[in-house]
Amino acid sequence: MGYVAVKGGTAAIEESIRRLKYERLKKRRILDFHNIEGGMRCLIDQVMSESSLYSETLAAISIKQAEGSPEEAVFLMRAYRSTLPRKHYTRAVHSENMLVERRISASFKDIPGGQILGAAYDYTHRLIDFDLSEETEEEIINWLDDFSREYGNGNDSTDLANLPKVLDYLREEGLIAACENNDSEPDDVTRDSVRFPASRSARLQILTRGQTGAVISLGYAALRSYGALHPTVGELRIGNLPLYVDNPFNEAKEDDDAYFIGEIKVTEVETLFPVPAPKENGLKTIEFGLGYGICYGQNETKAIAMSILDHCLEAGNAEYPTHNEEFVLLHIDSVESAGFISHLKLPHYVTFQSELDSVRKSKKMRENNKEFKP
Amino acid sequence: MDRKKRTEILLKGSFEVVAKLAQEILHKYDIKTVQEPNHGLVMVKVRETSRRSMFYLGEVLITECKVLINGSLGIGIVKGQAPELAYYLAIIDAAYNAGLPETKDWTTALLVEEDRIKQSHESFKSKVLKTKVSFQTMDV
Repeated sequence: MGYVAVKGGTAAIEESIRRLKYERLKKRRILDFHNIEGGMRCLIDQVMSESSLYSETLAAISIKQAEGSPEEAVFLMRAYRSTLPRKHYTRAVHSENMLVERRISASFKDIPGGQILGAAYDYTHRLIDFDLSEETEEEIINWLDDFSREYGNGNDSTDLANLPKVLDYLREEGLIAACENNDSEPDDVTRDSVRFPASRSARLQILTRGQTGAVISLGYAALRSYGALHPTVGELRIGNLPLYVDNPFNEAKEDDDAYFIGEIKVTEVETLFPVPAPKENGLKTIEFGLGYGICYGQNETKAIAMSILDHCLEAGNAEYPTHNEEFVLLHIDSVESAGFISHLKLPHYVTFQSELDSVRKSKKMRENNKEFKP
Repeated sequence: MDRKKRTEILLKGSFEVVAKLAQEILHKYDIKTVQEPNHGLVMVKVRETSRRSMFYLGEVLITECKVLINGSLGIGIVKGQAPELAYYLAIIDAAYNAGLPETKDWTTALLVEEDRIKQSHESFKSKVLKTKVSFQTMDV
C-alpha cells in the first residue's frame, strides 16, 4: 500500500478550526474552568483516571477545550503529559494509609470500623432536581455555612486514617490464603509496550487507565455470560492517599527523610469470588478468589469492573474473551480505541480507489465472461 | 524535625505559615535559584492488596523548584500547579539542609500548625462518621 501527499486543504482546515471555536462560543457564555473544577467532580475524576494524569485543574481546562467530550479531554491530557519530564517515583503507596471518607462492604454487615457511606449517589432517588436551575450563589453559601456549623459524631473514635482492611480480617480467619509481599519492580506500559502474556503489574496499569465505559462493559459481560461469575464486593473504600518521594540525595532512602508532596483521591475495591474447590474426602468446598480494582477519583463502577476483569485475567479461561488478555487489554484504552476508530474518517482516497479499481475490474471481467459464449 | 513530618505539616497546613517561614530566610540570605518552579510528573507506585504486588497507578502533575543557600540545596515538590508554594518549600528545605539558626525556632510554629491540622482532621472525621450506618435488627 502506498501513500501520496496531497495539499489544498490548509485554508479549509483553518476555517474548520475557527468554526469549532464558534461552536464553543456561539451561545455567548464563558465557561470558567474553575466552575468545571468546582461542579464537575465526577467527570474530572473520569478524565484524570483515563488519561492517567492526576490534576484537577488540567482536567477542567481540557474538558472546557473539548466542550465536555471525555475522549477529547483525555487525548489533550495524554498529549500534554507526553511533554513533561517524569521527575520522581513515589514510595510504594499502601491503601491501609488512606484517609477514608467512604467505605462499605457488601460481604459483611459488621466490618471493623463500620460501614461508612460518605458521599454517594446510591441512596438518591434519581429524580431530576428542577430547583437546581434556580440555584443561587447566596443559597449555596448559606447551605455550606450551615453544614460547616453542624456538629459531627464526636462520640465515635474510629480512626479514618487507619481503618483495617476486610481482606486482612479474612486472611487472619484463614478464609482466604495469606500471601507475602511481592517486591518485584513493576513494568511500565508507558515506557515499554505491553507484551503477552502480560505481567500482573502491566495488566493492572492498563486496567486502571482504561476507558470507563469499556471497562464497565467488559466487566458486565464477564458477569452476565462470559464466565458467569457472581462476585461480592468485600470492601470498597474512597479517600485520600498520601504521596511521598524519596530524598534523591539520600541513598539509604530512609522513610523519615522522604518528601510529602500531597494527597490523591482514589477508589479502591477488593472483590470476592466464590470458587468450588475439592476437599480431601471427595466432597466440595468453597474457596474465595480475589479481584482488585483501583482508579483515580471517585469512580466506583469502574473500580468494581476492574476488579472483575483482574480476576478474569488471572484465571485466564480460554473459553471466554473476557479472560483473554489481548482482547481486554488492547481494546480498553480511550486514546487507542477512539484514535483507531476515528482514523477511519481521515482520507483513505488511495486505498479506497484501489478497492474501487478492483471491483470495477471484477465487474468488467464478469460482464466479458457473460458476453463470451463459446 | 525530620523532613517527612515537616513537609506534611507545611503542605497540609496553611500557605501563610509556609510563606512566613520562607520570608524570614528570603530577607536575610542570598538565595540562588538552581531550578525555577517548573512542572513535571511523579509516577505513583501502589502496593495492591489482592496479591500484594506492586504496579503503577498513574502519574501526578507536580511543581518542583530547587534553590541553594550557603551551598546547601533545597527542593520544593508539591502536587499540582503551585510555583510560589514550591519556591517557598525549596527555601525552607535549603534552610534546614544548611542548618540555619532560624530553623531551630520554627519547630514550635510547626507544632502549633500540626495541632491546627489535627483539629481540622477531627472535625472532618466526626462529620464523615455521621454517615456511618448503625444497624438495627428488625422484628419480622
